[in-house]
Amino acid sequence: MSEKLGKIADGLLHGKIKEVAELTQELLDEGMDPEEILQKGLFAGMDVVGKKFRDCEMFIPEVLRSAKAMHAAMEKLRPVLSEESSSKAGTVVMATVQGDLHDIGKNLAGMMMEGAGFNVIDMGIDRKTEDIVAMVKDKKPQILGLSALLTTTMPKMGEVINALKEAGIRDQVKVIVGGAPVTDDFALEIGADAYAPNASIGTEKALELVKG
Amino acid sequence: MANDKTNCVVNRSPRFSFLSEDQKQTIFHGMLKVLQDTGANVHHEKAREIFKKHGCRMDGIRVYIPPNLVRQALQSVPLMTTIFDWEGNPRIYVEENRSYFGPGPTLVYFRDPYTMERRKCLRKDATTVARVCDALPHIGFVEGLVTISDVPRGTDDVFEFADMIQNTTTPIMAWAYHRGGARDIHRIGCIMAGGEEAFKKKPNYILYSEPISPLVSDFHAIDKLMYCAEHGIPQDYSPCAIGGGTVPATHAGQLVVALSESMVGVVLSQLINPGTCIILGGVQSILDMRRGIYSYGAPELNVLSGGLTEMARYCGLPMFGTAGCTDTKVMEIQSGIEAALQIHTSMLTGANFVHDCGYTESGKTGDIFQTVMDDEIISMARIIEDGIEVNEETLAVDVIDNVGSGGHYLYEDHTMKWFLKHWRPTLMDRQSYEDWDKAGRQTMQDRIIRKTRDILENYEGPISRVPEEVKKDIQKVIDGAVERVERDGL
Repeated sequence: MSEKLGKIADGLLHGKIKEVAELTQELLDEGMDPEEILQKGLFAGMDVVGKKFRDCEMFIPEVLRSAKAMHAAMEKLRPVLSEESSSKAGTVVMATVQGDLHDIGKNLAGMMMEGAGFNVIDMGIDRKTEDIVAMVKDKKPQILGLSALLTTTMPKMGEVINALKEAGIRDQVKVIVGGAPVTDDFALEIGADAYAPNASIGTEKALELVKG
Repeated sequence: MANDKTNCVVNRSPRFSFLSEDQKQTIFHGMLKVLQDTGANVHHEKAREIFKKHGCRMDGIRVYIPPNLVRQALQSVPLMTTIFDWEGNPRIYVEENRSYFGPGPTLVYFRDPYTMERRKCLRKDATTVARVCDALPHIGFVEGLVTISDVPRGTDDVFEFADMIQNTTTPIMAWAYHRGGARDIHRIGCIMAGGEEAFKKKPNYILYSEPISPLVSDFHAIDKLMYCAEHGIPQDYSPCAIGGGTVPATHAGQLVVALSESMVGVVLSQLINPGTCIILGGVQSILDMRRGIYSYGAPELNVLSGGLTEMARYCGLPMFGTAGCTDTKVMEIQSGIEAALQIHTSMLTGANFVHDCGYTESGKTGDIFQTVMDDEIISMARIIEDGIEVNEETLAVDVIDNVGSGGHYLYEDHTMKWFLKHWRPTLMDRQSYEDWDKAGRQTMQDRIIRKTRDILENYEGPISRVPEEVKKDIQKVIDGAVERVERDGL
């Protein structure tokens, strides 16, 4: 059975989506503890992926393919895992703020966070402040990722943070902001917890923030 | 002599191309297929109504454009348009194979030309860019390189244009957030031209808007496009397509999508006002799959920009190209290499408006030093583009005979006349070691900084020629913009 764990880790590294999902199911059928599959198979593999990406030995499409394989395996594991284990790092809600239709950066960040073990809920583009707040209330994520590419929509990120305060839930979630015109100063000014200049730094910051 | 030969073919400039006629046709057909079968999202009800009225199949916000409508639009785009300076002189001939270079728009940071710090953009920076560009002989149009942070948010488009147009006679490629800003900018353009009728005869700026790749036109982009078409303002509708990110990783696939994105705007502009000037193109580069940045120095940018230039020409449209930019953070060898390759390729392919001279840090920081360096590179590329002139005089057989074997050409009248055509550096170093040593061992960076500061300190630009009345009228437009944004919001 442990041989299959190694194969899962290796399959993740090589982005073998179907194989990783199948091996996960086989191990479950053979009666392995889902927690063990998660820790020794999937997370072990994704740790190598993360390291290889940082060392410039893997490229974004390869990492995203690994994340997709991880996702496919989690589909099998989630029903039998405890709530706590099913998202190693926590839950992330992501959205592009109202008035803005840009999303390539947000998508990239979301996929990388998924690969890092987060359960990512992507709300998509042009999302109203009240909808984002409602989603935070409902899903209780550890991280809220907000994106804007336009100078004119950037203030909407501040609006969301204020609305979280008004709703009394600001201290329950860490807010990361990103997008081409966003700066460190701006993040500070609107009271965000972190600024992500790109997807991988965003993922690192998300991991730091949930660790506390 | 050579020119007198029967059926003689002369190369006025070097021949250079990426695509054959057959390849261009294949890409063009790919675009027609995408527009017809995949369609594009248009987030603008009135625009969709126009498309629908002219026979486009609709599905919610998705518009499917039939090939005949594209062909019809390409038949009504103008063969040539002239852009003037605000003093009424023709400055830009928007027609096949005429290349003009300039900076790019809306960067987040600006490198301070004195402290050398990367900092937020200030209002004075737009004036800096305008004045320096006015002094640079090879910069053909101007964009601001900045997103001004010290004016009310949402009015910086108007402030930038108002300041820049008074500080340069080089035509400006402007940008606006919304129709409101576009209208204010147009008011300023008209004031500078001497009225709306005068502007119609001699347009003095171009407005730039951008669809979102892949295949999305958001409300404000299309709304500005419609405003320009309605008012006959020359405009540019071009995306930043990200190879492997928002478009296929293959160059041909990227060209198909990028063309389709612009074509939505081209078709709509011609339906609203047949014959109105519209330019396609944009930044065409790849997503760096290691760093996750949109590369402004990738060699692929050259191939893609060149390929799209040829496709634009195939469609009979002017091209908004990209060159003179870099992924580096400060002036260094890499910025020179990337800019030189880009400018050279753009010149050879004949893109019309080649923007982003002065873009550094992968499109994040505006650096006027880069623009000053680019100006020198452009002048070198023009020499290459100028090719080899072959006729009786340039062949110089009689001069060669006169000098004979041995001897030299330094005394010859022929030399006196023709050496003046040789390129002369303003920044490149050709000193002897001893002179270079004596002059303080200056590097290219040192010389660029000195030249830039010299312009800033000693070159006034055209501001004193702007009449007081005009300045007052422009101030009224600025005040109106501030009121508008206070009233209507962002």
